[in-house]
Amino acid sequence: MTLLETIVDAPNRAAEYLRGGRAGDRFARLREDGLAVHAALASLVLLLLFPVLVAIVVSTKESGIVTGLADLVPGGNAYDNYYRALVELEFYRYMLNSLVMASVIVVGKLAVSLLAVLAVVYYRVPYKDFVFLFILFTLLLPVPVRFVPLYRLVTGLGWNNTVFAITVPYLASATTVFVLRQHFLSIPPSLVENAKLDGVGPLEFLWRVLIPMSKGILVGVSVIIFVYAWNQYLWPLVIVGDDLQVAQVGLGRLRGQAQAGEVAWALTMTGSVLTLLPPLVLLVLFRKPLLETFSIQRK
Amino acid sequence: MATREVFESRWQAAALLLPTVLVSVVFLYVPAVRAFELSLFEVGFGTGEVDFVGLENYRTLLTSPEYHLSVLLTVLFAVAVVVGVMSFSLLVSFLVHEVEVGKGLYLVSAIWPYALPPAVAGFVFFFLLHPSLGVLTRAIEPPYPTLGLLERPFEALGVDVDVTGPLEAVGPDVDWFSSGPQAFALVTVVAIWKQVGYNVIFMTASMNNIPGSLTETARLDGVGRLGRLFRIYVPIMSPTLAFLAIMNTIYAFFGTFAFIDVMTDGGPAGATNILIFDLYRDALQNFEFGTASAKSVVLFVVVGVLMYVQFRVTEEYAYYGG
Amino acid sequence: MSDRERFGASVRRSRRSVLRASGAALAATGVAGCVGGGGDGGGGGGSVEAVNDELTLWHAMGSGGNGETLNALGDQFEEETGIPINMEFQDSYESVLTNFLGALESGQVPDFAQIDSLFAKQVLNTGRVDPVEELLSEEFPVDDLLPNVTDFFTIDGTLQSLPFNNSNAIMYYNRTAFEEAGLDPDSPPETLAEVRSASETLVESGVVDAGITWPNHVWFVEHWFSTAGRLLFDAENGHAGEPSTLLTDNDTARSLYEWWRGMAADGLYVNPGIEAWQEATSAFLQQEAAMLLTSTAFVAGARSGAEKNGFEVDNAFYPTVGEERVGPVIGGASFFVPSGLPDDRREDVGAFLEFMASPDVQKQWHKGTGYYPIRQTAVDELSSEGWFEENPMFRTALDQLQASADDPATKRMLVEPARQSQQYVQNTSVEVFSGDTSVEDGLSKMKSRVEGELS
Repeated sequence: MTLLETIVDAPNRAAEYLRGGRAGDRFARLREDGLAVHAALASLVLLLLFPVLVAIVVSTKESGIVTGLADLVPGGNAYDNYYRALVELEFYRYMLNSLVMASVIVVGKLAVSLLAVLAVVYYRVPYKDFVFLFILFTLLLPVPVRFVPLYRLVTGLGWNNTVFAITVPYLASATTVFVLRQHFLSIPPSLVENAKLDGVGPLEFLWRVLIPMSKGILVGVSVIIFVYAWNQYLWPLVIVGDDLQVAQVGLGRLRGQAQAGEVAWALTMTGSVLTLLPPLVLLVLFRKPLLETFSIQRK
Repeated sequence: MATREVFESRWQAAALLLPTVLVSVVFLYVPAVRAFELSLFEVGFGTGEVDFVGLENYRTLLTSPEYHLSVLLTVLFAVAVVVGVMSFSLLVSFLVHEVEVGKGLYLVSAIWPYALPPAVAGFVFFFLLHPSLGVLTRAIEPPYPTLGLLERPFEALGVDVDVTGPLEAVGPDVDWFSSGPQAFALVTVVAIWKQVGYNVIFMTASMNNIPGSLTETARLDGVGRLGRLFRIYVPIMSPTLAFLAIMNTIYAFFGTFAFIDVMTDGGPAGATNILIFDLYRDALQNFEFGTASAKSVVLFVVVGVLMYVQFRVTEEYAYYGG
Repeated sequence: MSDRERFGASVRRSRRSVLRASGAALAATGVAGCVGGGGDGGGGGGSVEAVNDELTLWHAMGSGGNGETLNALGDQFEEETGIPINMEFQDSYESVLTNFLGALESGQVPDFAQIDSLFAKQVLNTGRVDPVEELLSEEFPVDDLLPNVTDFFTIDGTLQSLPFNNSNAIMYYNRTAFEEAGLDPDSPPETLAEVRSASETLVESGVVDAGITWPNHVWFVEHWFSTAGRLLFDAENGHAGEPSTLLTDNDTARSLYEWWRGMAADGLYVNPGIEAWQEATSAFLQQEAAMLLTSTAFVAGARSGAEKNGFEVDNAFYPTVGEERVGPVIGGASFFVPSGLPDDRREDVGAFLEFMASPDVQKQWHKGTGYYPIRQTAVDELSSEGWFEENPMFRTALDQLQASADDPATKRMLVEPARQSQQYVQNTSVEVFSGDTSVEDGLSKMKSRVEGELS
C-alpha cells in the first residue's frame, strides 16, 4: 500500500479492526509486527503529541498554574476560557484576520499562478525558459532578504495596516507555479489540440477543462498555501497593527490579559489550541490531495 | 511529437503572465535590489537622511563580535535542527514502515506538526518548560521522586540515608532565562518538533517506493532491522534525504523567527540571537536600516548557495540516482 | 516604560505595528489632503499633514485598564471643549516610537505621540518636534509642574514634551510572608544587604521559593545608580552633552553586580527574563518571591492581585546599593508634538495638553492608574482630601520622588541609541549574574559594548 492509501484509509481500517476478529487474533497481528516496535512507535508519537495534549488540558483549567504532572487533570473551565478568549478578549478578531489573510492568499495565489502556468505550458512564447527561471528565482528572495525595502515600499504605498499589505506581496509563487506546471505537463497534449480545433479559447480551456481535471491538485495546493499563509508571523507582526493582526501574533496579547498583571496561562493555551485548529482540521480533512501534491513537489 | 503549445498570441501570453511578473518585480525583485543599494548607505530614521557610506556597513559586520556570534549560532542551530529532525523522523518513518497494525493512525499522529503554527509551538513549550512554572520543569529538576526505591535497601539494613543529596547535585537546574546553552537547546527542540511532520511525509513516501523484493532478500540474508535501515533504505532514499536536508536548512535559517520571538527574544545574552532575529532587531528595534540591509544581503548569499547546492544535488540524482 | 505590566499591551518583547492611522492608512492619505499641509510652525520640520481630521494621539496604554482611563479622559475633553480627539492604541512604547519616527519621515503625523522617556533623545534628535512649552498658553502655570519631573523633559530651559504618565520604581512586598518568616512587615529592607538577609530568612523558613524578583530592564539598574548618587552615563547621563561611555568602573556597579550574582547563585532571586514585566509580577503574586521591584503603576494591580491570591501586600522605597539614598530616576512617558502643524490646529493641540496637565485630570489619572500626578496643586488637593491616608500604597512613589535630592544622577539617561545601550546593559547583566563571566569582566564588557554604540 502506498503512503497515501495508508493514511487515507486509516479510519476505515481502524473501524474494521475494532469490529472484526477475536482478541487473540489482534494480539497475534500485533505480535507479528513486534511488540517492541509498537511500544517504541507509540512512545515516539506520544512524545510528539504530548505538548499539545498539555495545552488542551490547561485550556480547560482555571488558573493554568500547573506545578506537576499530577495537576494535569482537565478542569471544568473549558467553556469559560474559550468564551473569555474568543468573545470577551476578542481573540475571534485575530482568528478572523488570519482567516481573511489566508483565504485571500489562497484564492489570489491560485488565480495568479493558474494564469501564469497557462501561458507557460500552453503558449508558444519566446524566452520561455527565461520566464520560468525568472519566476523560480523568487524562491531565493524570502521576506528577510528584502525586509527593510519591502517595509518601506509597503508603508510608502500607504498600505500599512491594510489587508493589501499582508496579502499582495504573497501572490507571486514559484512553488505553486512549479507544481501546477508539473501537473499540466502530465495531461495529454491531445486534449488541448482538440479543444483548439473545437474553437475553445485559452481561458475557457482553463476554466472548463483544466480546472475540473485538476481538482485534487488544486485542493492540495490550496491546503499548502493556507497552512503557509496561516503560519506567517514576522511580516504581519511588523506591517499591521492591532486591528488587522493575525492569530499567531495575537496570542502574545492574550498572555497579558489576566487581572492584576499575572500571566494568563490558561488563556494563552486556549488561544494556542484555537490557533492550531484551522490548519490542523484542513490537514486531517484533505490529507489525500495534500499528500498527492507533495509527491509532485518532490519530483 | 505532439505539442501543448497551441496558442500563439504573444499579447495574451504576456497578459496572463502579467500578474505574476508584476508582483514578483514590485514586491520581490525591486526590494531585493534596493536592499543591496541600502546596504551601502547610512539611513536616519525619522529624518529620512541618507548618507552614502560605501562598504562601511559590511565592514561593521566583519568586525562585530555580536554578529560573528550570531552567524556561528545560526550555523550550529541549523546543523542541530537538520540532524535532529532527520534522525527523529527517519526513526519514526522506519518504524511506521515496519508495522502493519495501526499504520495509518501512527502516520497521521506523526505528520500533524506540519500544520503547527510556530508561535503556538513556541508558547506551548514556553509554558511546558518555564523555569519556575513549567509542567516539565519540576519533573526534570531534582529532587527526583524516588518512590522510596533508593532508600529502601538502606533502610532494610538499618542505615539512615538521604539520597536526595547526591542526586540533587547531578540533576539540571532548568533556567533558560539565565543559561544560554539551555535556551539554545530549548529553541532547537521546538524547531525540531515543528518540522517532524514535513520530514515524515517525504520519508515515508520514499520508503514506500522501495521494492518489497529488496526487503525480502535482506530478510533472508539475515540482515537485522537496523542493518536494513542503514545499509539498504538510507542509500536508496538518499535523493529524498538530500532534498530534505536542504529544505530543513532553509527552514532553520528562515522559518524559526517566531520561536525566538515568543520564547527567548534572542537571549539570554545573545545565545539564541540567530541571523533572522538579529536582522529584525536591527531593522525594527534599532532602526539601523543600512546594516540591516547588509545583513539581508548576507542572507541572500546564504539562500543562494543552499539553492544552488539543492539544484546540483537534485540534478545529479536525476541522472544517476533514484 | 516600566509601566507595561498592567495594560495587557505586549510586554516582554516589543511589538511592531506601523503607522496606525485610524481605519485604513489609504483613507488617511485622502483625509490628510483636506487638512492641508499647514505652515511651518517653528522647529525644523517642513510641511506636514495630519493623519486625521480630528486631533490624534498615539499611545501605548492598552485597550483595557489604563487605556480605558485614558479614553475616558479623551471623552471628557471632547465634551468640555467640543474638539474631537482620537486616542489610538499602538500596542507598545516601541511601536509608538517606530510609528512616530516613520510619520515624521513621511510627513503624515499624529498630533501627539506618547513617547517612553527612554526614547526621548531619539525623537528630539530628528529635529522635527516642537517644544510643547511653545504650545501652552501664557496663563499656563508651568511652575506648578513638579520640578523633579520636568527636569528630565526640559532641555535648554524649555519644556520639550509634556510629562503625563510618570512613575518610579518601588519595592512591593508580601506582608503575610514576612510575618510567617518572622520578619517585621513594618520595617521592610532598605538596602540590598538587607534584601539579601530578608531573602535568606524567607527562603530558609520555607515560606517562599525565593526572596525577590524584578524584570531585567535597564530602568532598575538606573535606579540603583541614581539612588547611590551615581551617573550611569558621562555628560550627566546625557543632559550636559553627548555621552560617550558607561560609568561602570566604580564600587556601586561592582557591589550591585556582586550582590545580584550572589542572589542568583543562592537561589534567592527569580529571574523572570529580559523585560519580562508580567512574569515578574506573576512570580510575586503567586508567592514564589516575597519582594518585587517594579513601577508604581502596579499599585492597583498589586492590591487586587494580592487579594485574589490571599496575602497582604505593601510597598516601600526602592532598596539602595549602599546606605546613601539620593533619589529615583523618572519613568514613564510624555507627549511629543510634531513641528509644522497649521496654526489653528496648534491651538487645539495646546488646549488638549493643558487639559491633560490640569490638576483634575491628573488626580483622576493618578487614582485610576497609580502614576503619580505631575502637578503640585493636584498633589496638595489629594492630600487634603485624605486620599493618601486612605491609600498609603499610592503615596510611596510620590514620597520617594519628593524626598529626592536635586542631583544630576536622578536625571534619567538621555541617550541615543537608547535601545541598543539598554540591550547591552540587560544582556551583559545576564552574563554576570548567571556566572558566565566575572563581575569585573562583565562590567568592562558592558562598558565597551555601550561605548561602541555611542561612538
